[in-house]
Amino acid sequence: MRPRQSLIEHFSAFLQFDADHFKNWVIEPQLRRSIRNCFQQYPQPETSENFWALYWHRVWQVQPDSLARGHLAAYVQEVCYWAAQKMTERFAMTQYGLADCFQMAITRLDRVLKGFNSDLGCNFKNYASATLSSLIRESLRQRREIDICSDWALLRKLSQKRLTEALQNAGLSDHAIASYVLAWRCFKTLYTPQQATGTRKLPKPDQNTWEAIAQLYNRENQDQLGPQSPSANPEILEKRLHSCASTARAYLYPNVVSINTPKPGQEGSDFLDHLPDAAQTSLLNQMIAEEEAQTRQTQKDQLSSVLSEALVQLDPQAQKMLQLYYQASLTQQQIAKQLGIKQYTVSRRLVKVREALLRKIAEWSQQTLHIMPSLDVLKYTGPILEEWLEAYYGRHEPVSPENVSAE
Amino acid sequence: MASNSVIFDPTQIYLEIDSTIQSQVWRQSQPFATPSSRWNEYLNQLCLNTILPWLQEDYKPQAAAALRSTSLPNVWEFVNGAPITLDANRLILIPTESIDLDEIRIPQEWVDIPNWMGDYYLIVQVNLDDGWLRIAGFTTHRRLKEQGQYDWRDRTYCLEEANWIADLNVLWVSQALHPEEATRIAVPTLAPLSLPQANNLIQRLGNPELLTLRLHLPFHQWGALLSHGGWRQRLAETRWGLLDQGSVRQWLQMGVSNLAHQVGWRRMEFQSSLSAARGDDEAITAIALSRRLRIAGQFYELRVLSVDGDGAQVWRFELQNLTPGGLIPAGFTLRLLTEDLQFFDGNEDAADTAVPQLYIEVALEPGEGIVWEIEPIPDQYDQEILRF
Repeated sequence: MRPRQSLIEHFSAFLQFDADHFKNWVIEPQLRRSIRNCFQQYPQPETSENFWALYWHRVWQVQPDSLARGHLAAYVQEVCYWAAQKMTERFAMTQYGLADCFQMAITRLDRVLKGFNSDLGCNFKNYASATLSSLIRESLRQRREIDICSDWALLRKLSQKRLTEALQNAGLSDHAIASYVLAWRCFKTLYTPQQATGTRKLPKPDQNTWEAIAQLYNRENQDQLGPQSPSANPEILEKRLHSCASTARAYLYPNVVSINTPKPGQEGSDFLDHLPDAAQTSLLNQMIAEEEAQTRQTQKDQLSSVLSEALVQLDPQAQKMLQLYYQASLTQQQIAKQLGIKQYTVSRRLVKVREALLRKIAEWSQQTLHIMPSLDVLKYTGPILEEWLEAYYGRHEPVSPENVSAE
Repeated sequence: MASNSVIFDPTQIYLEIDSTIQSQVWRQSQPFATPSSRWNEYLNQLCLNTILPWLQEDYKPQAAAALRSTSLPNVWEFVNGAPITLDANRLILIPTESIDLDEIRIPQEWVDIPNWMGDYYLIVQVNLDDGWLRIAGFTTHRRLKEQGQYDWRDRTYCLEEANWIADLNVLWVSQALHPEEATRIAVPTLAPLSLPQANNLIQRLGNPELLTLRLHLPFHQWGALLSHGGWRQRLAETRWGLLDQGSVRQWLQMGVSNLAHQVGWRRMEFQSSLSAARGDDEAITAIALSRRLRIAGQFYELRVLSVDGDGAQVWRFELQNLTPGGLIPAGFTLRLLTEDLQFFDGNEDAADTAVPQLYIEVALEPGEGIVWEIEPIPDQYDQEILRF
């Protein structure tokens, strides 16, 4: 992949795939106009990517529908590409390609935007990278599971939120959704597996179960949906639940939505239409006044030496595990094989090691930056650590597992 | 199965479900009232049996289920969630079989019943087919109240994934470095039910045909019923079709019932201290019910015995140290309450200084129920009704 060069490109160009390969960058004119506009207002515009990323993230927080989202979507294209590439390399999948993984992550950009907290001095790109990787991982896991579930098993393994969204997406009214969800809840109450395992291949419920579901539905109907709600017979409920299952299945494989397509009504509109000039200027001034970039770099260097020191103090097996995971990009399963232990033990140990490192960061920021290690602060510290580990081990040449020094 | 375990998230803990435990727990889940309560018990017991040993091994050896194995089934008959005690904190495991983790629904019982509320709620994704579970994150009572959405339709607090903390390490680090952060916020107390009210509800809800019991009456009533360990037990027993457990009087004559035995009650003979106190020449052998309790790391014994022999009207409750010569430390209180948790005259004995024994004598009508309480609260304490 050819990396993007200019700041303008970074915040306005989108990656195009040709089958499963990088094709080129395509600039979205509306975004380019918007960023040029910003630059023109400042004779000496900030040149740091992170500055502009933080700026647009703040704009996005105030104006979620503004072009800021588009700028950030463009900005994370590269990290998303690398996250997808790493995942396809690591898991050597046949079913999903690079482009699939890229899509899985980029369609859930909102998770990055909502999760990022600019007050805590994080780097937006690093945060995005760690979050997108974990989103891809999670999507892969979910898809594999969904693929092997029967419809009736799938219904038992959906969150109500996911089901509701699927039904909304299919265009159902709120009232219809409420009645579908009630039917689904009655189904879940009455249709439980009859054995301890094998919960993925559940057959269609038998007639007695459908009648019991209908009975429960009709008893709860008035309380839950209002006095005018019609009752339902087993056939209707079976039909509804069947369509719940297929709607949910379809929804779990979202169509490729082009993120750079402007939203309706946004066509041709200018950035300034969305955020008043004064507000924009004050946000920029505020950020420049904070002079964040420079102090952050110093802090980052300090943190880095704290963590490097902590790594050296870990026991040899923990060090080796980190090396195998982050540097040699082995799966936990491969690590387990190589060290002759169970995969679950690898998971437990890695989590324990990360706890020690997380604690180091928290202690350091408490002593140096006087930041209280509250739950909110710690919540955003985890991804910083993850990204730091990736970067630390990534600096070293990737090694083949055989070359990782023995204990 | 290798295909799924390949994509473990490195920042989260995955635990293997022992297949022997899995089939054992499944077999033991038979007597529940409905298929869904059986499934609920299976899922929760499996989580508890898998997570507790890991907590004890990797974090706190003293971690324990917050309730005895006799009380947990009567919780799972009604509600999803398994309580754990970890030092001064309560941790509620919330298992889910959902593939996606877009949200978690936490039953209102664990949030709004004062003696059920937890400090931390752990979201546990269970994959029964592949035999693993994953701690997908946690939240605190306070955060749940502030960030969760209450859904009246199923009486749960729903929390979106973005609002919980995915990394469980955050909990341990916060406990170590910032223990003063409040985990709970106050919830209103639930007005207690009267005895006739409770009897009436237990009769009505005892019908196992009723499925969504939790939603059948206003929450403050349901919560008050459920928070009373003795009534919860009675309601569950009614739904399971269990026979009446008999009275203390009967247990003393014919041996304790199976269930009381599981709770820890034993029938025992001993040299009555009463006779010695009265200066009788001959020591009288008395029969008492006895139960071992662990309080603040020490073992004690609670005894119940009749003061006036066969036609017993007056009963004596005693608490003493199990170690010979051991005392009851200052600050301990033994208290008796009526079945509907009311105080009465002379219902408590408190140790101002260390004493050999705390005791209360009380006259009871046949059929009357008594609930005992001790401060500090014994490990795995749950209110029980002793019927006389």
